Amino acid sequence: MTKPLLDVEDLRVRFHLRTGTVEAVRGVSFQLGRERLGIVGESGSGKSQTGRAILGLTPPPGEVTAKRLAFDGIDLLTASKRTLRTLRGGRISMVMQDPKYSLNPVMTIGEQIIEAYQAHAKASKAEARDKALAMLEAVKMRNPGRVFSLYPHEVSGGMGQRAMIAMMLVTDPDLLIADEPTSALDVTVSMEVLRILDELVSERGMGLIFISHDLKLVSSFCDRVLVMYAGRVVEQLEAKNLREAQHPYTQGLMRCLPTLADDVRPLPTLNRDPAWAL
Amino acid sequence: MTGAPLPLASEPSGMRAWLLSPEPHSRWQARLGRFYLGWRAFSRNPLAVVGLGIVLLLILVAIFADVIAPYSPITGGDLRTERLLPPSETYWLGTDDQARDIFSRIVHGSRVTLFIVVLVALIATPIGLLVGTVSGYLGGWVDTVLMRITDIFLAFPRLILALAFVAALGPGIENAIIAIAITSWPPYARIARAETLMIRNSDFIAAVKLQGASTPRIILGHVVPLCLSSLIVRVTLDMAGIILTAAGLGFLGLGAQPPMPEWGAMVATGRNYLIDQWWVAAMPGIAIFVVSLGFNLLGDGLRDVLDPKAAK
Amino acid sequence: MLDIQNLQVVYGTGRMRVDAVKNVSFHVEPGAAYGLVGESGSGKSTVLRAICGLAPITNGRVLVDGQQVTTPRGKAFYRTVQMVFQDPYASLHPRHTVDRTLSEPLAIHGEKDGEARILQALKEVGLGPSFRFRYPHQLSGGQRQRIAIARALILRPKVLLLDEPTSALDASVQAEILNLLDDLRRRLGLTYILVSHDLAVVAHLCERLLVMQHGEAVEETTSAALRSGVATNDYTQSLIQASQGFTRVAPQPAQAPAA
Repeated sequence: MTKPLLDVEDLRVRFHLRTGTVEAVRGVSFQLGRERLGIVGESGSGKSQTGRAILGLTPPPGEVTAKRLAFDGIDLLTASKRTLRTLRGGRISMVMQDPKYSLNPVMTIGEQIIEAYQAHAKASKAEARDKALAMLEAVKMRNPGRVFSLYPHEVSGGMGQRAMIAMMLVTDPDLLIADEPTSALDVTVSMEVLRILDELVSERGMGLIFISHDLKLVSSFCDRVLVMYAGRVVEQLEAKNLREAQHPYTQGLMRCLPTLADDVRPLPTLNRDPAWAL
Repeated sequence: MTGAPLPLASEPSGMRAWLLSPEPHSRWQARLGRFYLGWRAFSRNPLAVVGLGIVLLLILVAIFADVIAPYSPITGGDLRTERLLPPSETYWLGTDDQARDIFSRIVHGSRVTLFIVVLVALIATPIGLLVGTVSGYLGGWVDTVLMRITDIFLAFPRLILALAFVAALGPGIENAIIAIAITSWPPYARIARAETLMIRNSDFIAAVKLQGASTPRIILGHVVPLCLSSLIVRVTLDMAGIILTAAGLGFLGLGAQPPMPEWGAMVATGRNYLIDQWWVAAMPGIAIFVVSLGFNLLGDGLRDVLDPKAAK
Repeated sequence: MLDIQNLQVVYGTGRMRVDAVKNVSFHVEPGAAYGLVGESGSGKSTVLRAICGLAPITNGRVLVDGQQVTTPRGKAFYRTVQMVFQDPYASLHPRHTVDRTLSEPLAIHGEKDGEARILQALKEVGLGPSFRFRYPHQLSGGQRQRIAIARALILRPKVLLLDEPTSALDASVQAEILNLLDDLRRRLGLTYILVSHDLAVVAHLCERLLVMQHGEAVEETTSAALRSGVATNDYTQSLIQASQGFTRVAPQPAQAPAA
């Protein structure tokens, strides 16, 4: 095995609340190469907190510990704030669920992409502008020049999310963390966005962590899938082998979805075994 | 996304377990449980508890004024020997120019203050609440008319309008209360309207509409309860201002009339002796200050509990 | 049971004019389940809201049980038609206990024996009496949606309008709610109109469905046809495609994950 891009061992995220300590992520370990890794789980499974912890975006009063949390050999837990800042948005980027909340409403999309680029690369205004336009073209905007000067509220959800992806990829990151990047979008639009993401990832050889609740989507998009339940990884498997999932939780998640292919009635429901959470 | 439910650190026992039960068995248990949670949040703020203590003290003093006050608040002692005495063992807070015990007058004055506060709250809050929710919920021309009326009342400075009112109706504590109440509801109407606008289009209101509920039923049963908490907070915070306005009217001689022991009027009489007999004006002044502070602290604490959005 | 004829919904006038629904017609038999499928902005939810009076009917007719609906709808209408909303976190009053939420419709319609009816309603949606005095914040998303269904059913309506009833829920909870809805329809002989963006959900619950796009009806089809992948319309076809998950157009020699 070559040196992994991201090495996570025994990652834990705890929230110290008045009512006691809640552990949202409880000992997650995985390694990521230049591949598409999916993290699947239901709400409260800790999948989003895992993604945030890697980027150091755990909201207070959260506390992150890990035996190892290394990105390309750099220990993220002991790295200085400065190093983290250059990594974040530079070599590691994140795409969030809803572009409406992640884009600055009072700046045009173009300005935001330029700003993201100049924060991490020494470039003249003109260079940055060219780069931004190229990026907008890369995410298949029909008219990059026009989109460049639009404000976020003037574009549709799908375009906003593509602009977001353009902004996140303008610095040529090595790792992209996408947290439910398409769940606010319509199905046909989300397919388009995923296709763009897919192309960019394979063209640039990035590592991708794709966090989603949608098992069907993740298994068809990613190479490898981590299934999380109650803050733990209950199963880790190749996406193409999802049908042969061993863990009853993964099997249950697979089966409880209605499909067009066959008509199962009633749908099998998931009987949560308390032992899974142990 | 932080939902892994973990048990509470300590197992609650007895009464607490009953109050915090996730499966209440009756309406009362559910309501009390909710109240208990609110109280727990409230009592975590020591300043809020101090505020609550001051307000409770005011109420107790007002109720038991006859028992607590050692002298009559109206008839003074011997004008030759007991006038303007400094605080001493016999007269804890000294005496005023009519040889009346200041402590007794402050104790009895708490009744006047409480009377004003309660009456203003009882008049202004429902008016504000009703105008705000009706105007916000119905919208259209009703909203325009009601809000313009509110604007007119908002445009007057409170004390000036109160002055005009008292001037028209004649001085007296009742007229002062009416004047204060009439000038204090517009902000409540604005708050209630803003809250209603947020609630109006929510699904749970659409759901009761689809059950065939009448408009008054929706406003009173579903909109008002949600506006009430932020309004209670605001009214409590405003109490300090109301007490000050009442005291101001008393000070100007337009509120409570002598010999009624009203704190503002007491400060006014003490004004003449401010240099040599400071306690005559200072003691009722301190009472006004403490009670106002108490209401402010209480309001802050209530805001943290009832209106989590506004807190911090 | 339900007849929608040339329904048109327009919001605003002049430059602000939005044609939310353009000339949509369909017919639902008693006891049937009918699906409305489309993406956001397709007008599918607006059709539902126009039926129950939350959106204006600009043109066309809505007939329930052969009777054209009146504006505003009368109490009798609300006893026949009820609705379940998408987000169970927004559709329950945050300060009302389950008991209050369920007794409200009974009180509005002057129904007797509330106590028994509430317990019955809770039982129907698979919740025990222990849930009766809880506040919404003490319930999970699935439990909330069950309460919302119980509230809709407590007046014994004949038609249930379902606006994306499972899209805010986790997959495993979605399965439970879909089973519950399926079961209730059979037991109580209900007529459903289900709005969803998820073809699989609609195909699971409904026999017939209408595909909508930009406020217009694109194609009326059956679940059976969907299952066999038959769709005359390109848009329907693309929806079927998308519901199968992500497909790579030209499988590039994707970098093997560190073999």
